[in-house]
Amino acid sequence: MGSSWKLTEAQLREWLHGLLDANAVVAPVEEDGFVLFRPIASEDQAVVEPSGKARWSPKEFLFPRSEALYRYNFTGGTVQLEDPPLPEKHQVLFGVRSCDASGLVRLDEIFLSGTRDRLYAARRENTTVVSTACAAADPECFCTAVGYSPVGEEGSDVQLVPLDEDWMLRVLTDKGRDLVGDAADGWTAATAKDGKRLPELEKIISEQIERSPVNREWSKLLEEGFEHGAWERLAQHCLGCGVCAYVCPSCSCFDMNHEANAWCGEQCRSWDACTFPLFTHHASGHNPRATKQERYRQRVLHKFAFREEDDEPFRCVGCGRCVALCPAGLDIVNTVAAAVEAIQEEGPDAAR
Amino acid sequence: MTEANVNVVQSGTGSVPEGWQPHIVALVCNWCSYAGADMAGTTRLEYPANVRMVRFPCTGRMSPLMILRAFEQGADGVLVSGCHPGDCHYVQGNLVARRRFTIFRSLMDFIGIDLKRLHFAWVSAAEGHKWAKVVTEVTAAVQEAGPLPSFASPEGWDGIELPAATGTGPNELDAAQLDAIRTNLRKAASEVLMADRVGVVIGHGAGSLPDQTAPVLITETSDCEKLEWGHGCHNNLSTYIVSALERHERVAVVAKTCDLWAISGLIREGQLRRDQLLVIGVQCPGVHNRSELAAKCLACSGDPHPICDLVVTVDGVRESCQDSSEATLDIPDARDEQIAHLESLPHGERWKFWQRQFGRCLRCYACRAACPLCYCSSCIAEKHRPQWISTAIDNRGNSSWNIIRAIHLAGRCSGCDECARACPADIRLDLINRKLALEVERQYGKIGLDPEQKSALVDFRMEDSEEFIL
Repeated sequence: MGSSWKLTEAQLREWLHGLLDANAVVAPVEEDGFVLFRPIASEDQAVVEPSGKARWSPKEFLFPRSEALYRYNFTGGTVQLEDPPLPEKHQVLFGVRSCDASGLVRLDEIFLSGTRDRLYAARRENTTVVSTACAAADPECFCTAVGYSPVGEEGSDVQLVPLDEDWMLRVLTDKGRDLVGDAADGWTAATAKDGKRLPELEKIISEQIERSPVNREWSKLLEEGFEHGAWERLAQHCLGCGVCAYVCPSCSCFDMNHEANAWCGEQCRSWDACTFPLFTHHASGHNPRATKQERYRQRVLHKFAFREEDDEPFRCVGCGRCVALCPAGLDIVNTVAAAVEAIQEEGPDAAR
Repeated sequence: MTEANVNVVQSGTGSVPEGWQPHIVALVCNWCSYAGADMAGTTRLEYPANVRMVRFPCTGRMSPLMILRAFEQGADGVLVSGCHPGDCHYVQGNLVARRRFTIFRSLMDFIGIDLKRLHFAWVSAAEGHKWAKVVTEVTAAVQEAGPLPSFASPEGWDGIELPAATGTGPNELDAAQLDAIRTNLRKAASEVLMADRVGVVIGHGAGSLPDQTAPVLITETSDCEKLEWGHGCHNNLSTYIVSALERHERVAVVAKTCDLWAISGLIREGQLRRDQLLVIGVQCPGVHNRSELAAKCLACSGDPHPICDLVVTVDGVRESCQDSSEATLDIPDARDEQIAHLESLPHGERWKFWQRQFGRCLRCYACRAACPLCYCSSCIAEKHRPQWISTAIDNRGNSSWNIIRAIHLAGRCSGCDECARACPADIRLDLINRKLALEVERQYGKIGLDPEQKSALVDFRMEDSEEFIL
């Protein structure tokens, strides 16, 4: 597919300006002093920086925080059902970091394999992802420790690579080619020297990330030590909120509720998190994950264990947001390392 | 998310459609106002037909949730009406409600609901004429206020620049002084464990990022080395006391001065007893929030409070334990100017300010989880029958959640700012809490650290102010 160009920031913004005609563009925007993904109306709103992440991932533009699956109303003594309309405009997710783009692929695995989720699939097909490689790691970043890359191409249709002053734009898929279209006519082709920037950035960032890597063989060990007493200690200061899941690029759990009044309503799907007790609470009153440590263990293991094939990637993409935003300072990588250490030293069945 | 089948008029354009008539929901007490309305009907009095009534056993049974639900479902105005003070069928329901609605009203005003939309009245069963008059007045006021502004994040809006909170904060402690405090703290913790004075010490342990710590529960003296002290010790550790008491008879907790209010609140509300607790107060250098000194620290000296059992400073550890019934804790707040600034703006601007913030809410409930005084085992946000707070993560549901969280803490909030710190969306919950604290104090006076005092909203006085009640 290899087409790449070298663009100045002005050219990049001009391209972004062009995209706004035919697409709904979502980009990092500054709001009340921090950066969030928001639909933009003009190219100037977008924050285009060589490094730094939005406060949370752009997953809500494929898997909204809340959406109606169907609506109903009672009129004339009958029930009318209605499918909520899907947005028709093509969507561009612009300036998505590599970790977040990989996170979207992890969501695809949940929503598109087996029974495809109709609403997610429609949005996904209608979306093009323009990712941005990173020039520096944030303090919480650890993508290289969990098998991802700051310049990774997974999930991206177009990739922007920060050069010294300029940007290299690489088309990675057909969707990306369509998005670039004839805008590329006036652009300068990137040189082989620009291309070297990718491995260079990868090297710089892996050196900045001082975390020791999570070993892929630990998945089995974590599963064997499922009942290990260390989980109680590791989860004892977890407050049981849902920050980690909600800012996570790959967390995909949801709940269903009827939001209704006497005349009309909808079946509403909203984000949910495995750290909430209600998430697994059965109608019978039984809760299979009754304690905090069982719930926290579920979250950790769902990221780093429960993999069907050895070459399957971890479901944690290493953005580090859950570490930075956890009100109790829980650190998923340290937890994994501590659990593995305890299981290795004391055997998988040790009580504590 | 659900649009009620009343027409929700979007007032985005600011224009009121011709012939628009307000929808008003009246929450009325069965024993007085409901009968009063009946009386108005049987005496053939005329009054506007905009009001839909919902009958309750008592104003004391009405929760702010019900008012919020009315607004959320498309009401443009709400009227609450009950028995005159002294006439309550349940003796004091209306007196408790009067305080609750006084505070709720000030919160609604603060978040941008024009008070022309929210009315309270005392109408007895004999006052048919008063009912007709009240409904006429309320309808005219809501008519004037126009359609309820939409629950939506404002688009293309520049936002409001709040004045910077200023203050010098606690005395700067250098690395050597912090080291000394850390050493003294570890020594104090290890001594109380060794002497069997407590079964566990709840403290701050190392975190993995700059200015971050993670709470630790220490039961072995050898683990006391894990205790940390510095700008990253955010957590109000009193959140962990009650669960620690399930396993240990007596618990030691490391506390900054700003954490003490929550501890006294927990004791006041019967969640723990003072004798189950050993409070280790530590000299605080101020905590950093996203690399800046937290707003709550700006006016604080950082000195440990004498009601703590042990006081740890640079110089050493000493026993203290002053009688809390006489203690005061009065720290001026650097944010009051920001609150005053918001209050000086028109309702529409305030509504936008808060709708933008509430729109960001992810409903992760970190605010609730981090709050030492949000200890209910089952939260109203999780109730389904009936469901008062929409689970949909949108402006309507989020507004209800954030308002009700604040109201449930009014008169109880310890001002530790943990909710605001925990919020990943930077919602200024601290401003809401502070606003409510100021209002409670203005109306009902300040309560100190004495756990024997009742908090304002579970108490009442016959002579409480009611100037806003029709």
